[in-house]
Amino acid sequence: MTSYLAATSLEEAVAALADGARPIAGGTDLVVGARQGKKPLPEALVGIHRIPGLNGIRDSDDGLEIGAMTSHAAVVAHPTVRNRYSGLADASALVGSHATRAQGTIGGNLMNASPAMDTGAPLLCFDSAVTLASARGTRNLSLADLWTGPGHTSAGRDELLVAVHVPAPPPSTGSAYVRLQYRRQMEIAVVGAAAVVTLSEGTVTAAAIAITALAPVIHRVAEAEARLIGGKANAAAIASAADAAAEASRPIDDVRASANYRKAMAAVVARRAIETAISRAGGAEVEIPASESTYGS
Amino acid sequence: MTIADSQPFIRPDGKEKVTGAGRYTADLNLTGQLYAKFRYADHSHARILSIDTAPAAALPGVFAVLTWRDVPAVLYGGYVQDRRLFAKEKVRWEGDVVAAVAARTPEIAAEAAGLIEIQYEVLPAQIDFEANAAAEAPLIHEQWAEYEADESVGLAGNILGHSSVVKGDADAAMAKAAIVVKSRYVADASQGAPIEPRAISAEWHGDKVTIWSSTQVPFAARSGVAHALDIAESQVRIIVPLLGGGFGSKCDFHFEAHIAALARATQRPVKLVFSRREEFLAPDHRREGMIIELETGTDPAGRLLARRGRLVLDKGAYCGEGGFFAQMAAMHACGPYKIDTINIDSYLNYSNSQPSGSVRAPTAPQACWALEQHMDEVATAVGIDPVELRRLNIIEEGDVGPTGQIFEAIGAKETLTAALEMIGYGQELPDDEAIGVACGWWPSFGSASGAYVKLNSDGSGTIITGAMESGTGAVMGLPLLAAQTLGMKPEDFSILYQDTDAGPWDMGSSGSQTTFNNGRAVIAAATEVRSKLLDMAAEELEAHRDDLVLAEGAVRVKGSPESHVTIAHLAGTGEPILGKGSGVVPDSPEVDASTCVGRLGLESFLAPQLMTQAVRVKIDRATGVVQVLEVAAAHDSGVIVNKIGADGQVYGGVLMGIGQALTEATVFDEEGRQRNPDLLHYKLQTASDAPEIQIRWIEIDTPNAGPNGSKGVGEPPSVPTPGAVGNAVAKLVGRHVDRLPMTAERVWNTLDAARAGTP
Repeated sequence: MTSYLAATSLEEAVAALADGARPIAGGTDLVVGARQGKKPLPEALVGIHRIPGLNGIRDSDDGLEIGAMTSHAAVVAHPTVRNRYSGLADASALVGSHATRAQGTIGGNLMNASPAMDTGAPLLCFDSAVTLASARGTRNLSLADLWTGPGHTSAGRDELLVAVHVPAPPPSTGSAYVRLQYRRQMEIAVVGAAAVVTLSEGTVTAAAIAITALAPVIHRVAEAEARLIGGKANAAAIASAADAAAEASRPIDDVRASANYRKAMAAVVARRAIETAISRAGGAEVEIPASESTYGS
Repeated sequence: MTIADSQPFIRPDGKEKVTGAGRYTADLNLTGQLYAKFRYADHSHARILSIDTAPAAALPGVFAVLTWRDVPAVLYGGYVQDRRLFAKEKVRWEGDVVAAVAARTPEIAAEAAGLIEIQYEVLPAQIDFEANAAAEAPLIHEQWAEYEADESVGLAGNILGHSSVVKGDADAAMAKAAIVVKSRYVADASQGAPIEPRAISAEWHGDKVTIWSSTQVPFAARSGVAHALDIAESQVRIIVPLLGGGFGSKCDFHFEAHIAALARATQRPVKLVFSRREEFLAPDHRREGMIIELETGTDPAGRLLARRGRLVLDKGAYCGEGGFFAQMAAMHACGPYKIDTINIDSYLNYSNSQPSGSVRAPTAPQACWALEQHMDEVATAVGIDPVELRRLNIIEEGDVGPTGQIFEAIGAKETLTAALEMIGYGQELPDDEAIGVACGWWPSFGSASGAYVKLNSDGSGTIITGAMESGTGAVMGLPLLAAQTLGMKPEDFSILYQDTDAGPWDMGSSGSQTTFNNGRAVIAAATEVRSKLLDMAAEELEAHRDDLVLAEGAVRVKGSPESHVTIAHLAGTGEPILGKGSGVVPDSPEVDASTCVGRLGLESFLAPQLMTQAVRVKIDRATGVVQVLEVAAAHDSGVIVNKIGADGQVYGGVLMGIGQALTEATVFDEEGRQRNPDLLHYKLQTASDAPEIQIRWIEIDTPNAGPNGSKGVGEPPSVPTPGAVGNAVAKLVGRHVDRLPMTAERVWNTLDAARAGTP
């Protein structure tokens, strides 16, 4: 690294990006990755933590606007996120360790484009969109169109993610993110799944299901959603939807798990996410993160 | 003194360590220092055809590039001297050091290391350590027959060591046994994984070198440097700043000589700090992979009549200090049980992977994990509760060990009773929970050790010791023993330690023996001080020496409390008050091991430590994820010197044991390269994973032991934990998981196989 700028305005930051600098927020991916030798630090860095308005959650009837600099810890602590967007709270509560959650940001998590990131699946299920800013102007992009592959996004190198927009879900909606983990801190998803389910008198009127660490990018599974929508939220439908999620997975063999195990676990984790989302939709209190309380079910 | 009458003594180095004020080796910076970087092997097994250092040397900012040509042609190692500082003919594992660079910055050093051109003839990586023993397997060390080696080890080709435990005629007894059970277990390699990656700085003054190193064994490091650089030990001074953990992996001489050689070549101080990745890949120290085959024959009631076994241990590329592993593993395949006849063969084989070395109770957790699960299998075959099988066979005072050792007072059975009581063995549990139990043992190690104690003019004391504080608190507890001898408070003492030019020789922080041996030395040194104080006080008080007592910082005349003189007064007279001591090393118990081969001194267990741990676990049957909810640890470590410190060792050891049981393994690819050399994928347990841990000390007044009848504490807590977890998991799964660690995926696969009834 040869230069570092702590930008104090968005204009300053995007100008630096236009000149080839890379943004740094919490540094939990960039710095750790560089120290591990994964990727050296970029030549020029622009810090975005001093830019006013990038940090914090705006909560309205239309939904949430989460600033890119908002830490995972702040997301978990937000009462509306916990109540109405519980799946996002589940995910934010699981990212890394206490230190990662205090330091790491939602914008960084999304732009890292890791197929194992925790916040991606619930945000995708909530039909979230992101705002990208550059010297050329700003644009909104659906989250589904952001990721193009592991570590790759459709954002230009001069674009900065400034906010995430999460539309408010209809009443009687519950959500959950569940992941398989081998320990309780400093963990990364072996497999994960998110579900957002809306109920009307026991019938599923809307459902969104996404899978994590099971394909090159986190993605929704339309077949799994179809198996729930319009039917009763019963065990058979849930199991069928979870199986569809597993069938849609294309897991890899790596040091964390074999592909075979991952595929089998996809069905388990998807089932638990859907079950938890449904019980939350019905008004039940389920601990955050849900992974802990669905343990052994 | 027992727990009841001892005061908890909070270690004096604790505060600086937890507040960040403490200084570790990597914190040290010397004016004009250069930075070192190693060039490691590019293959796990290859012949070196040529090394061209010129491109690296030409890089601006590079001060020296060293290879085997630049250091004495010296081989080193423990029982077998099989390694050079820099690989010459061959590289034998991915962490073999081929060259070292010193440069102005770490970045330049790294770039230069990458510029060194090495041509290889790549050979197949022989990582199957069992197959390497076959006659047709290519030799990893072609010159093995020319190596200096201890004859007792049994070096032969790719077999570095062979030990046996033979007692009576096990074949005949097995043939007559009513019940015979056979098992095979395989343990993966794992790591010590200290949080402080190692660091070394070296600086020469004339022909003498001072080396600051994060080692657990400064005196062994000094010998290693002197031997490898062909200089006198008196030319080498090793200083260890605060050490950030070692767990055995910082035992042995490692990289001190490389850095000293760079500092000599450049005439500058040179500093090396490992990355986390290097801390995994480069040390010749990890816990050994092991294949454990056991067969036990019993009578219809479950009495152990015969044990046969075959163990194969992965030594990796070089011997280091781990040459004794075959014998240690064989003793742990016997366990703390009465067995009429035994025939166990244990092999320590070379392979093209990271050398194994002592990590907290080397060989024991894996061997105990296999043996204790095997014992549960035996109990099932006999038709009795696993706990009953242990109660029936566990050793007691007067029993005869595997090699004829007759046990003195020990509390093995008491640890079993206590652990069961603490965990509530036999209670009703939900169907996803179970309790598993395992027993284990570990020897105490007697060694020469020395200390000085001096009194300062303000009446405080200083302990000058060669002992090494690796984080266990053992050195930090030495003031308790000096204070007890001198009627002073432990807070009255400072400690001068971790400097080979200050304290007497010590074997270092290894073998759970610091209190055992250096504690004895400190008491002896303090006793000499006491004698001097009594002489001085007798004169001052005009009293007879025998009428004097030391208490509360003063010497008093018995029966007339107003007649006294303070220690501070005596120490302030200007007359030096010093004591030195080493004490008498307890003798190893007598054995009859004439029928055994590969005898390296571990056939008898001096002051054996006994332990039972019971664990309650919960399983998620859908995923195979196992969580340890509760651990009850009952230990006979003799009389406990400082309970708060001893408890800390159990908490840490149990958590390390749970990691070994469930999540910790170094995974290798087909080329012998580590696939998970980082703290995300090498899964240590975290504080959040810690279960409730209950501890009970069975304080047997142990004859022939350490100070006050104490034994050791550091290593035993990690020994039985994996076995106890394994037995609990087996109850929930329906069969034993035969691979360590028992990862979620392995548990899930075993559940699947148990349901399907497939082998």
